Amino acid sequence: MRESDTFKKLTRLILEEERQAREQLENRVEVIDQNLNEREKLEPRIAPILNDQVIFLQKKFPELFGPAITASIKNQIKDSKDEVVEALYPIMGKMIKKYILKEIELLSERIDKKIDAAFSLDNWIMFLKAKFLGIKQGDMMLKGAMDPVIQEVFIVEQFSGMLIGSYSRITSVDQDMVAGMLTAIKSFAKETFSVGDQELETIEYENYKIVIKNFPKFYIAVIISGIISKAFLDKLDDIILDFVNKIINQRSEKADGDFIEEEFSENLNNYFIKLKKYD
Amino acid sequence: MISKKVVLIGKYGVGKTSLIQQFVHQRFSEKYLTTIGVKIDKKTVNINGTELNMLIWDIAGESTNTKIPKSYHLGAHGAIYVFDLSRPFTYENIVTELNNLKKLISNVPIQVVGNKLDLLDEKNASQIINSLPLEVSFLTSAKTGNNVEPLFQSMAKALLK
Repeated sequence: MRESDTFKKLTRLILEEERQAREQLENRVEVIDQNLNEREKLEPRIAPILNDQVIFLQKKFPELFGPAITASIKNQIKDSKDEVVEALYPIMGKMIKKYILKEIELLSERIDKKIDAAFSLDNWIMFLKAKFLGIKQGDMMLKGAMDPVIQEVFIVEQFSGMLIGSYSRITSVDQDMVAGMLTAIKSFAKETFSVGDQELETIEYENYKIVIKNFPKFYIAVIISGIISKAFLDKLDDIILDFVNKIINQRSEKADGDFIEEEFSENLNNYFIKLKKYD
Repeated sequence: MISKKVVLIGKYGVGKTSLIQQFVHQRFSEKYLTTIGVKIDKKTVNINGTELNMLIWDIAGESTNTKIPKSYHLGAHGAIYVFDLSRPFTYENIVTELNNLKKLISNVPIQVVGNKLDLLDEKNASQIINSLPLEVSFLTSAKTGNNVEPLFQSMAKALLK
């Protein structure tokens, strides 16, 4: 017994230090566990590190993720080329039209007008007529000029020639058939005369002009009577692109299936009322 | 209203225009006027209470001298291939031509039609269709109107499926 007591005492003495160290360690582990598993305790400790990481990521974002994002966007564009072109087409068209063509065409028109006004035979005839009749030459010119009037607008599906929507101020022949024939003419012109991706853009006959604006899935044909100035065409361009952007593209995003003719026709009617003030 | 595009194709002079004239206007002319390019007709049919606008593209038949834009076929919801029962030249390459058509417009109903049935007796007509490596959907006569209405009715039903 004595020996046993002595042994126990000895063991306690030797292991006391170990036991205390273990207890300390257990306490420490418990504190760490609490720090890790209890949000209120973990948050203040991690927040500065996270903040630093956020600042680091903000600074280095283009460097770290730029190539991956660029590659992903490139793939997305490659895989959904039609949708991307559809979305960008009106915006790009608008920009290009506005900043390049418009300026050049308006300048060219002004120059033409000045040259025509000064040297044309019509001008001399009108001048003599005005003198003879005692009327101002400007009044005569105004009477002679025919204001442009939008007669009809057709939105037609590319290739199939199916009518998607129409606006008309006159009762024309069957609109479905007009849409089909316009498409056939376009297809014929494209396959016969065009090189690459060129498209038929205008058809003219006497006082009428059909202006065609092409988009990837459809085209819009506007039948205009009267004398059409470049400024009018430019305004028409803006309205068409705006219509496509706000009505057709928005609708296409929502729609799963085919275009609904009635829906677009109603919108066209509301929309092209705006054009009356430019008629 | 639902609108669908149907193309009529086949060699020149097989009676595509006459079939359409018979279907749309119930008339037939002995005068042969070759179609230049394409001609479009429209007829509204009622299939079990559903109104369907059939926009029928009468595409000129190709000969050795004329080439027809392939894009006329694009976007078609159905096609009718017409041959002339009395002229073997019009159905000699029918399989190749139908395969070419299927490359342009896939997954759409296609009806194969032997026209000018009025020029043949029943025995001859049977011999011809039995000799062909594919099933002929209808034997028609644009002149008498025989089977013309059922042909387009059948196409209309297929378009609505």
